[in-house]
Amino acid sequence: MKKEIIQTWHFPHPPEVIWEYLTTPELLAQWLMKNDFKAEVGHKFQFNAEPRVKVGFDGIIYCEVLKIIPNQFLSYSWKGGPGKGKITLDSVVSWTLTAKDGGTELLLEHKGFKGVGNFITYLIMNKGWAVKVKGRLTDLLKTIDHEA
Amino acid sequence: MKRSITDPFHAISDPSRREMLMLLSKDSMSINSLANNFDMSRPAVSKHIKVLYSSGFISIEDIGRERYCILNQEGFTQLQEWINYFDEFWNSKLKKLEILLQQKSKDQK
Repeated sequence: MKKEIIQTWHFPHPPEVIWEYLTTPELLAQWLMKNDFKAEVGHKFQFNAEPRVKVGFDGIIYCEVLKIIPNQFLSYSWKGGPGKGKITLDSVVSWTLTAKDGGTELLLEHKGFKGVGNFITYLIMNKGWAVKVKGRLTDLLKTIDHEA
Repeated sequence: MKRSITDPFHAISDPSRREMLMLLSKDSMSINSLANNFDMSRPAVSKHIKVLYSSGFISIEDIGRERYCILNQEGFTQLQEWINYFDEFWNSKLKKLEILLQQKSKDQK
């Protein structure tokens, strides 16, 4: 089970150019989503995505800039929920830019899904639980049938 | 009990609910014996069980005179689907950025 997202991309442009596309609202809107981003720690902003009503997501992503190192590193919180300011998805997105081969290696990390990390780790360590539990239940039901 | 859909992230954001799931991953338990593991009122326990049920993490079955909570795969599958959704989301967005940057290089030539 995967508990976080890590993607590495390579672009033949210098980090300064990539940085522009990560931090200028108009450029960001061209490839990511409409936003009111500002490169200031503590700035609260929003992204507007497609709602996924079925799973309780209204399409608004509430963010706050956490850390900035110009042309090198950017992170913001990434929170969402079913609407009316209720937050159920609580995570962090970070971007790391490294000059490489005359271009830029861009590392995207989307993690810290609150509660998910520890929990999935626990489940991985206890894999096979699903089968075990089901088997036990079947046994239990059989016992009851016999007793009845 | 009617099963409405609750965000799986919401379900596991609570430490008591995570602990309930961990206990249930060892064995199915009656609501009574599950409640005995927690220092909270019965209505509070019931509320947590309801959230776990509505998010697909557990199912509830009557066995004999007791109601049993049984771990259910669905909640975990949903959690995984969400993470896969974001993985695909970022992949398609970054592809868009790549195309945008290629366009930019061409325009400059």
